[in-house]
Amino acid sequence: MRSGTSRFRLSAFGGSGMLAVCGLLLVAATGCGRTSPASFRLNMVEATKQRLTSAQEQQVATILLAMFGTPDEPVCIPEAGLDEAKLRLAAGPVRSDIAGRKNGLYREHCGHCHGVTGDGLGPTAAFLNPYPRDYRPGVFKFKSTERADKPTHDDLVRILHNGIVGTSMPSFALLSDLEIDALAEYVKYLSIRGETEIELMRAFFELDEEDVGKLPETREFLVGEMLTSVAEKWQAAADAVIAVPEMPGDIDLVASIAKGKELFYGDKANCVKCHGVTGLGDGQANDYDDWNKVIVQWSQEVAGDQDAAWVARASHVLAGDALRPRTIPPRNLRQGLYRGGRRPLDLYYRIHAGINGAPMPAAAGTVAPEDIWHIVNYIRSLPYDLDGELGADRPMIAKGD
Amino acid sequence: MVRLLFVIVGGSLIAASGCGASRVDAARADTAAAATLRETILTASDGAAVSEAGPGGTGWATLTGMFTFEGGAPAAKPLVVDKDTEVCSKDGMKLFDRSLLVDGSGKGLANVVVFVRKSSRVKNPVSSDQLVFDQKNCEFIAPVFAARVGQPIDVRNSDPVGHNTNISGTSFNQLIPAGQGTVYTPNKETGMPVMVTCNIHPWMKAYTVFRQDGYVAVSGANGSFTIPDLPAGEPLEFQVWHERASGPNGALALSVPELSWSDKGRFKLTLDADQVRDLGTLVVPASALGM
Repeated sequence: MRSGTSRFRLSAFGGSGMLAVCGLLLVAATGCGRTSPASFRLNMVEATKQRLTSAQEQQVATILLAMFGTPDEPVCIPEAGLDEAKLRLAAGPVRSDIAGRKNGLYREHCGHCHGVTGDGLGPTAAFLNPYPRDYRPGVFKFKSTERADKPTHDDLVRILHNGIVGTSMPSFALLSDLEIDALAEYVKYLSIRGETEIELMRAFFELDEEDVGKLPETREFLVGEMLTSVAEKWQAAADAVIAVPEMPGDIDLVASIAKGKELFYGDKANCVKCHGVTGLGDGQANDYDDWNKVIVQWSQEVAGDQDAAWVARASHVLAGDALRPRTIPPRNLRQGLYRGGRRPLDLYYRIHAGINGAPMPAAAGTVAPEDIWHIVNYIRSLPYDLDGELGADRPMIAKGD
Repeated sequence: MVRLLFVIVGGSLIAASGCGASRVDAARADTAAAATLRETILTASDGAAVSEAGPGGTGWATLTGMFTFEGGAPAAKPLVVDKDTEVCSKDGMKLFDRSLLVDGSGKGLANVVVFVRKSSRVKNPVSSDQLVFDQKNCEFIAPVFAARVGQPIDVRNSDPVGHNTNISGTSFNQLIPAGQGTVYTPNKETGMPVMVTCNIHPWMKAYTVFRQDGYVAVSGANGSFTIPDLPAGEPLEFQVWHERASGPNGALALSVPELSWSDKGRFKLTLDADQVRDLGTLVVPASALGM
């Protein structure tokens, strides 16, 4: 029956039908570029935002190719401070080398969510909540360093090893240390590449009239200014680890939790404003993280622009190169799921430096280290704090007394 | 014919959706040029880096002027204040959008930023006196705030409720408890002004600009600005910005032929020693603010 139907269809379509079917098969076989080598995609949001011409976009693509190579053949300028041998293990299509070692680890394990370019726009990205990280702005949340600093290599390794609880990021603990190490290096590579790309695209605005809209293709500018400004921060990360004083050994836990609670609801640490009176993360909940905020703000800018042709192109870019913005809810502290790790030390880091890229501000400087420890102890008690109605026993913020 | 049309439409649908062709075409690298460029950037320069020898001028000069808005003073738009209302809407207090502040009588346009893009000499060393960036009644007191890189800023909170101050692009996002402050010393130029927000009170917004040489001014309520102690005898390029300006990155593009004011909101001047150059009244048409 089925074959009869299809025969009928084919004959009914006649010659032109056959042609069209062949055309479709061709599109299916080659049109999706599955057989062409993988390529990095230009940061079209930034390019369009900076209103680059197509010649300027091409210049950026050429500079990036010269500095970083391709997804199959990554190369590095020594100033990038990256280990090319590690990168080669992670880069390229999935395959085994002559010794049976797995290659192409990034595309096997990471690319489907984080994208070949590390733009967080892999094929599965739109279906995940939260969205996978876009490495290109060079901002990472869960790290042991001060807010403005990059994560250390070990911070990235820890995330790969443990995964991120409460998100789609799994643990890769089944990979060897060597493989995890290579992937961490490759994430750094994509991030340095992506951040350099953004710097390059923004540099067009800073050009003088005499430069006729073209970036200088000199070592001084491309390496000395653009790449170094990004790569140096990665190299400095190891020296930026937050100094954490030991939690006092003789601490009275009950008293510490009570003190932490007072701070949580008080005007100094002010955790209650976002994490809510109940600690359920239901306070200030209509804010965006930095990745989404860029899209929200730019969408507004596009909507208000007078240039119809540019608006059409920008809307096209927003539809194809950005995900629909989502608000970022403050963490529900009663679930006991801490994305950056559940060690008391991890919670200390989060409170001390805040969470870079997220609305969570840094408490360091205004909240003393021992008080941060009290808040850590209180937060760790919240999932087990079952007495009474949630929040019913909370002292509402003591105002004006 | 209808069938053929169907096949064609179907085929284009597949082309449009199935293969992700809904993305704009991104430019492709020029492979040959990239190979040559790679050689260039891998070759250590022979140290003959062109030292930007200053033009060697002496003396100092002042630039001044006044921005006015061509249209009428717009009606102030009230902001939605829905947090900490016992402080932020105290006694029926209302907060207003401050992105376009026009002086009622003289039509002066406030909060236009003017800064020097590059200079070879700076008269005064960086001051260690603290500047104050304060927030009161749930708004940043200064809608636009300028500082010199290296000069400490006391980020204050004069409210009885806690704020946080989040300076975009700098990774500074710090809790500022009620009645307290914290010192922030900018260590890098911002380029164009960047947004400052409070995540606890989402309506709060200001802009800040940090410049290495401190040659930056923000126009006052009457629209006037002054940058003193500018290096005389060298071509200086000035950048002009306004929150609502429709130029790239907020560049304020004006039509001032004698200054060759560009679309990027820039103009060039060479000042003489001890000169006080008054640009007079610079009229900002509504169109320059995208209105």
